[in-house]
Order: sequence, then structure tokens, then C-alpha cells
Amino acid sequence: MAAGGFFRRSHGVGEAGWGRTIFAAVISFIYFFPVLWIILTAFKTMNDVLAVPPKFLFTPTLENFVGVFSRPFSAGADSQATNFDLYFFNSIFIAGSSVFFALVIGTLAAFGFSRYPLKGNDTYLFIILTTRMLPAIVVIIPIILMFRVVGLAGSYTGIIALYTAFNLPFTIWMMKSFFDELSPDVEDAARLDGSSDTRVFLKICLPQVVAGLAATAVFGLILTWNEYLFALLLSGVETRTVPVAMAQTIGGDIGVRWGLLAAIETLFLIPVILVVFFLQNHLLRGVTFGTIKR
Amino acid sequence: MTSVTTTGAKSPPRILQPRLDNWPAAFILAIIISILAIALLPPKASFWVSLAACALAAASAVYNAWGRYKGGLLVAPAIALLFVMNIFPLLWSLGLSFFSYRANRMKPPAFIGLDNYEKILTDPTVWDRLQTTAIMAILTVAVQMVVGFLLALLFSKQFPLRRYLLILVLTPMMLSYVAIGAFFRYYYEPTFGLLSQFVRMFTGEPFILLATTQGAMAGIVFADAWMWSPFVMLLVLAGLVSVPKYLYEAAAIDRLSGWRQFWNITFPYIRGLLMLALLFRTIEAFKLFDVVFLLTEGGPGTSTETIAIYVYRQAIQFNKTSDSTAISYILLFTVIVLTNLYLYLANRRAREA
Amino acid sequence: MTVKTMLKGLATASAMAAVMTVAGASLAPANAEEVVLRMAVPDWPPTRIMKDMFDKNYKAPSGKDVKLEIDFIPWPDYYTRLNASLTSGEQKYNMAVSDSQWLGAFIEGGYYRKVNDLIDADPDLKATLADMHPAPLQAYATYPYKSENYYGFPQMPDIYINYYRTDIFCNEEEQANFQAKYNQKLPCTPEEMDNVDWDMYEKFGEFFMRKKGEKLAGQVLDDDFYGIAYQAGKAYDFSTMQINAFIWQYGGNIWDETQAPKGHAEGVVNSPEAVKALDHYLRLTKYMPPVVKTGSMDIFKTDELFREGKVASHIEWIGFAESTINPQTSKVSDKVAFALPPGLRGEDGQIIRWANIGGQPFVIMTWSTDEQIKEITDFVKWWLSPEVQHQYAAQGGQSAIKSVYNDPKYVTYRPWNRTWAPGLDWQKDTWHIPEFFELLVQGQEQYDLAITGKQDAKTTLDNIAAFQEKLLKEAGHIQD
Repeated sequence: MAAGGFFRRSHGVGEAGWGRTIFAAVISFIYFFPVLWIILTAFKTMNDVLAVPPKFLFTPTLENFVGVFSRPFSAGADSQATNFDLYFFNSIFIAGSSVFFALVIGTLAAFGFSRYPLKGNDTYLFIILTTRMLPAIVVIIPIILMFRVVGLAGSYTGIIALYTAFNLPFTIWMMKSFFDELSPDVEDAARLDGSSDTRVFLKICLPQVVAGLAATAVFGLILTWNEYLFALLLSGVETRTVPVAMAQTIGGDIGVRWGLLAAIETLFLIPVILVVFFLQNHLLRGVTFGTIKR
Repeated sequence: MTSVTTTGAKSPPRILQPRLDNWPAAFILAIIISILAIALLPPKASFWVSLAACALAAASAVYNAWGRYKGGLLVAPAIALLFVMNIFPLLWSLGLSFFSYRANRMKPPAFIGLDNYEKILTDPTVWDRLQTTAIMAILTVAVQMVVGFLLALLFSKQFPLRRYLLILVLTPMMLSYVAIGAFFRYYYEPTFGLLSQFVRMFTGEPFILLATTQGAMAGIVFADAWMWSPFVMLLVLAGLVSVPKYLYEAAAIDRLSGWRQFWNITFPYIRGLLMLALLFRTIEAFKLFDVVFLLTEGGPGTSTETIAIYVYRQAIQFNKTSDSTAISYILLFTVIVLTNLYLYLANRRAREA
Repeated sequence: MTVKTMLKGLATASAMAAVMTVAGASLAPANAEEVVLRMAVPDWPPTRIMKDMFDKNYKAPSGKDVKLEIDFIPWPDYYTRLNASLTSGEQKYNMAVSDSQWLGAFIEGGYYRKVNDLIDADPDLKATLADMHPAPLQAYATYPYKSENYYGFPQMPDIYINYYRTDIFCNEEEQANFQAKYNQKLPCTPEEMDNVDWDMYEKFGEFFMRKKGEKLAGQVLDDDFYGIAYQAGKAYDFSTMQINAFIWQYGGNIWDETQAPKGHAEGVVNSPEAVKALDHYLRLTKYMPPVVKTGSMDIFKTDELFREGKVASHIEWIGFAESTINPQTSKVSDKVAFALPPGLRGEDGQIIRWANIGGQPFVIMTWSTDEQIKEITDFVKWWLSPEVQHQYAAQGGQSAIKSVYNDPKYVTYRPWNRTWAPGLDWQKDTWHIPEFFELLVQGQEQYDLAITGKQDAKTTLDNIAAFQEKLLKEAGHIQD
């Protein structure tokens, strides 16, 4: 397919038929294959996991999924609870809360930066961005210290506050670019009609950036969902998240427990896929009115 | 765009509490109290006392700003949180980079000025790691941008089952690094790995990707780009779907060619988001750690060791605490220069357009 | 709006956050009779078993309600987590399981508590330690290495041993072919296998390296098969541990911290014996599965290759043995036997078996209160008591106490326990100095270059020696 032709038929919103579906299905399947393999592995017995040649057809088993929540920790011992139910709850609760708070605080800030530029606006925006530039390992020690002094170590509050801050730079930059794209005409008209600033924000601006909110939420969720280093070093026994606990399937008394690792990952994908799937409508519907700047 | 608004500015009630909105005085008072507290009280108590003082001063400032400085008030919570959670630790480690300090020694930090920086800037190892990082960052970001962009074009139109297929493509970036690391190591592994098994069908010999520097680099870039191309795709897609339909209708009437349509209509809508994607992916690529550490640990030798791994070794493995912060600040400086250059170019482009 | 105003704003918010925290922080006074001991441990069976035994059986002699709060941290990140916790001054844990190499690094930081006073004050404990094999005691407890300063107690002592497949080694056809080819008997029983030196081990490698479609023990192979494997990975210490064994067996040495500050690295680390040893180590890797060429054949990979039936024999820590004989995790569970690891045959015909000890001690943190120290001491005594050690060994653990492992019962617990007593006599440990990780990382990088075929043994050891000499001089471990 010539590039020009591809562009002509590709860009912009529009309808494409089943031809595109088949093409997209092939591409998506190839792209998805490494994940598919993980999911298949989750249903395999120890015998099938590393079989040579690789097995695509096999008798599925649920033993790995049972093992995620309860299994013996040493050979011959009784099955014990693994606490993974708690870890799943923690991941959902911590990621959910921090994305929510980041959206609230970040959207307000983005609106402020967009509509009421401060002196040195760009500098502030840039400083906000720089907080994402250092390797996390460098800032972790002062954070641990601070958490200890303040008593936040191992608490939900601490890790949620940290993740909220972690999500803010992206949220602010993203939402600002959405607010910047809005046409000021509608807002000005509303102001002339006597609407308060709060009303303009809530009733006029916010509805226009729903797609932006959805996209930002998705990205925030994805970044927080799998965050590893902060979770490893700042969570306590009670607030441990799945990505950290997942590492228990690697090393120690055995190479990798492939089936178990795959089962945890598969389960761990479900919530975030569901969220993304339901936000997708907003994500792709586009903005319905008032998007034209010029 | 609306500029600074002063609508509804109420004059601060001076009679009620003359000192409440006198924030400069409160600010000075807070600093004095904090210094005294740090000097006289044990660390824990001084922390709380200075915090309370700052809180008071801040309350005064908020009171003063209420109704008059909308931008500031809207931005304040975000800045506050970032200050506590990010900027304070940043400043702490910046300070530490001028000291000689190892976290696992009893010796208290000693001020040595710029010695750490001098040592690092003359250390060929650091330059080597920076070079590796730059090569890897350029490769992975380039691949991500291209693949992400093409995927976005693929999904920009409505077609049956689009929602479901899109989810399949988005999934890689939802995976945990632990799983990605373990499974990609397995995919590349010569005995059991899928890649080797696949190649073997044609050559009959096991394929050992990670044995060479180029192979290891390719493996890392592939895994990282595979994981994060959907991120670029999603941002571009958000831009693509926001292009109003009637512009295309107009273009069709004007009989614009595909390329011209793309440059004149589509591109202006996705430019901002494309830039944002490039910016964020570049920043992340300079911190590239997990994929490398889990796949090769920097090997063979140190040929794929990124600066982030080097910092990890210095900070956690060697406990050269202050050295590691100094390296990080050099890294930060590099990234700031790069992003500033980039933002400058982007803004100039935007103005020209 | 000014900067100052904004700074105020953020100060307010931080104060709010702080106030909320205070409200949230529980300051509930602990029950006077309750003592909580917090312990960081890697998440694996030896620590899980300990926790289980504690919960089921432990009664504090003081009559207090002692709670052991264990933080199980996955192995891959255990060091990172423990290091961050200790060096940040978090003071979260009272005890931890620690790799023996970490001792110096954390003692110099003032985190690990010296336990000589506890030992001296307690005749029972003193007697227990006197009954301990000196190799693990020195490796797990002393800093500087082999001094009289004690800092820890063994939790899971470990050594590496030879895991091999009886169905292959005892196969009559293979036996006959091996005899025909080398004019030597292919070992089958563990006793025969104990007598294997590196030359013989190399022959295993050559003999059992088979291509897909060839026959092995009467069956046609559906995949390539290899004779031998040992650790040759880049991560952590996953080649150093085996290379050190070769170097010691050849009569060479690593930089010896017991000789500090007189002992040098230059001339010792790259001595002709050491070069010969490394060459020998590298020579054997050519008979190993292809993953060895990537520097990712670590202890986990050889374990996996063995459990999946891709190699006839490998050298591995005892800590992996339990999952090898468990049919739920191993394809070779019913056809595996264990023997002493191969060594170098000396002029007198005896095998020299020097090896690097593995395993972990537990340590006590300096900030533990007197009350906690008292309970920890009682806990340690309980843990090292013969009944508990036997119970632990019966579930797959190991004991460093002579009277325990010399008990005839001991070898009946697990098939590999027969290697334990003779194996212990050959153990040495790597450095305990605070700079160990710098030495280790550079060494691993250089070994990785050699293993992946990018540089020869001489260059590798010269580079390592030069680096160590410089670093150790700067750190004051080498003087003059």
C-alpha cells in the first residue's frame, strides 16, 4: 500500500469497513501475542509451561489461579493464604485514590495555568515537569526519612499522597493542553451572561475536556498500577501492592514459578483492562463542541 | 485566552485582624521560628514546630490571596503536594551532592563543594553510561513514535470490533515490569524461548540473541518499545479523533491530496499531543532501568548498562550516597537542557504555524 | 500572585497533610506484656518454615507475649529493600536475615549489633556456638572475617552440591558407551559421584552433549541435551561463587581480607594459579546449554534447566533441592540424586573441594530495646536448640550445629544431607568488608566478559586485580 494512499484512507474520523477490521485484527494479534502467551501460561500445568516445542494446545488448568491465593510455602506443608486478596485490594485502592486525587488537584491547577497565567507560568510548569526527570532511587531516601518522621511509613495515606504527586506532572501538562485547545468564545459569552467563574469551569469547560480527563485517568492508572520502586520501599506489610508481591514467584528456592507468575499477571490485568475499556468511549469519542480554536 | 482576572476582588478586611493577611510578616516570622526550632529542639519536635509556623504563614497568604489571585489559588494545592513529595526530596539530594556522604558509614556528611561533580565529570565510566543511555533512548523513543503513530492511524477510523482490537494493542503497557522482565528473558532464551524456537525451525540451531552487545541492545529496545508504543498511539489517537469532520469535508471539496490533507488539517490537531508524547517518552527513556536490569543487568560486560542502573549501583549497592545524587543532577541537567531546547523549538514552530 | 504567596499555599497544604497524619498515626500504648519483634526476611521456604514453627511452638521463657512480625520480601528485591530501610534510618526492623557478604557494609553503618556480650552473658548460648562448625560460624557471624567479633547466628546455612540424574548416569547403555569411550566407569551411586573431579565432570559434559534426534539412555531426544551446568550469570554473585571455588582449589586466592592491611590484590587475584583456575572454569562452559553465552545462566536458570530435564547434572545450592524432588515443580523429581560437588584432584589423588559457602545468618539491629534484645536472645536460643534444629532439618532446612548434623537421624531427613558434614569442611567465604558490593559488581562484569567470550582469563583477572588494588588502597584495606 502506498504511503499516500494509506494516509488518505487512514486519518481523521470516519467509517471503515470489515477490510480494516481484518487488517487491524492481524496487527493487533501480533502485537498482543507476548501477552497472550502470558495468559496461556497461566492456564498451563508445570509440565506444559516450558515444553519444547512450545504448546499452543493443551488441557487448561486452574491450579495456578488457586495457587495465587492459597498454596503451601514449602514442599509437603499445608496450604496457606498468600494474602494476595489484600494485595489486589491495595493495588486497586491505592491506584484508584491517587488517580482520583491527581485528577482533581491537577485539573484545577491545569485550569489555573491555562486561564490565569502567573508571572513565570512556563517556569512553574517546567519545574513541575522536572520532578519526573530524576531516577526515583535518588529521591527515595529523603522520602523514606520524611515518612518516618511524619509517621506515614507503610500507611495508605503516605503511598497515596506520593502517587498523587507522582501523577500530577503528567495530569497537569495533559489537562493544560486540553484546556488550551478550548475556544474562549463560549466562556466569554457565558461570563457576559453573568455566570460565575466556578460555573464557567464546571458547566462549560469541564464537559468539553471529558476525553482529556479519560485519557489522563487511563495514563495515570497505567503508570501507578505497575509502579514498583516506591511501592517496594515505602509500602508496609499491610499496604503491599501486587507488583511487589509478584516478585515472590521469582528466585529463592526455584527459578521462576511461571504458571503462578502468569496467573497473578493475568488477574492483575483484569481490573485495569476493564477500566480502560469503559473509559475508551470517552477517550475516542472526541470532543463534541467548541474545539475550534481558530 | 483570558488574562489575569480580578473579578470579584474583595478588599481584605484590615480592621478585623490587621496581621492575618500581613503575609510578609508571617513569612519572616515562620522562617525565624523554624531556624530557632531546628537549632534548639530535637529533630522530631523541630519538624512539627516549623511545620506549624509554615502552616500559619501559608494560611495568612491564602487569606490574602482569596478572591484576588485565582491562578495562584488553583495551582497552590498541586504545587504544595509536589513540594512536599518531590521538590523537598529533590532539594535534599541536591544539598547532599555537595557533601561527602556514604549512607552505610557512621561518618557524618562533610562539605566538599563541587568535588563530587568534578570527580564525576572526569569519570569516563559516567560518560560511557550516558552514551549508552542516549543511544538506547534515541532508538527506543524513535521506534515508539513511529510504531505508535502508525497504530494510531490504523485505529483512527471507526470499524467493526475496533474497541476490542484496540484493547489488545493497549495491553502491553498495563503489564508489570516483573512479568515483562521474566517473560522477555524467556522469549529470548535459547533453550526454551519462543524466539529461538522460531528461528530454529529454519536454521536448526538455537538462536542466542543476548550473546552480543547489538543483540542485547535490540532485545531491550524491542521490549521497551513494544511496551510503550501504545502510549504514543493513545495520545495521537486522542488528537486524531478531535479533528472536526467538516474540515475533511471541506478538504474533499478542495480536492486536497492525502499528504496535504494530513499536513494542513490533521497534523495541527495532533502536534501538541505528539510533542507531549515525545517529551514524556524521552524523559522516561533517560530513566530506563527495569527492562535493562531484568533482561541483561547491563551485560554483556557493561555494554548495555544505562545511567539509571549506574545510579542504582552507586546509591543502593555501593551506598555512595552523595556521589549518586551528583550523577543524578548531571543527568537532570542534561534532560533539562534537552527538554528546554525541545520546548523552545516546539514553541517556535507553534508560533510560525 | 507572587512566588511567596504560592509558597505559602503549599506550606498550608503540607501542614494540613501533616495534621491529618498525626490524627491517623496510632499512638496506642503497647500491652506491657506484649513484645513485638519485627524481622525482615526473604520470602522463601526456610523463612516460611521458621515463621510457621514459631507460631505453632514458641513460648517465651519470660512469660511475655512475644510476637514475631515478619516482613516477607521477595528475594529479587530483598537487598534493595533492606538497604533502603537501614540506611534511611527508618529503624523499622529489630532483626533481619542477611547475606554474609553484607555484614561489613551494615556493621560500619551502625545497624547490625555486635552480639559478643549476649554470648558471654549466656553460658548456654556460648556452648551452642562452641558446638557449631567453624566455617559457617565464621562466614555468618564474624566481622572482620575470621575475627572474634560476632554479629549473627545461622538461619539457613547452605553449600552447593552436585545434582544429577540417576536415570541417565545409571543407564546400562550409557555406562557401556562411557566405559568404551574413556575407559572409565560412569559413576552411578552417590558414593561414586562423590569421587568425581573436574576432569571427569568435563567428560560428562562432552559425553552427554547430544543433538535433537540422537539417543539418550535409550530414548530419542526431542530437544538438544547437555551434560553439565553451573552458575555463570552476570547478576549479583552468580558466577563469582563458583569461580572462587576454582581459584581456591588451584591454590590461588581472592583478595584475602584476613591478611589486611598487608595483603595485596595485585599479584594475588591475578596469580598464575588463578588464571589457570579461571581458564578451567571457562573451558567447562562450552559443554553447557547455549544460554551460558548470554551471561544469564544464573543459579535460577541452571535449576530450571535441570528440573526441565535439559541437563544431566548441575551444581547448585542445597536451597533448591527441595523443589527439585517435588513432583509439583520438577519433571525429574523421581530420578535425581545428590553428591559432593566435583573438585580438583591433587597430587596425592585426593580431591580438593574448596567452595564458597552460601546461606544466611540472622542479625540484630542496634536500636532494639533491652527488652527486645532479651526476647531476641531467647528466640535465638530456641532456634538453635537441638530439637528445633532437628525439626527444621526434617522440613528441609540445614543445621550448622555439629551435634545436630552428626546425629545419625540427620542424613535420613533428605537425600542430600549425606553431603552436608563432609561438605562443610571445605567452605570458605568471600569478603565481608563494606566495599564488597563494589568488588563484586566489577568482578561480575569482568567475568561476564570472559564467559560471553569477549576477553580471556588473564585480561579478566588483571583488570579485576588492578581495580581491587586501587579501590582497596583508597579504602585503607591495603596499606604500604
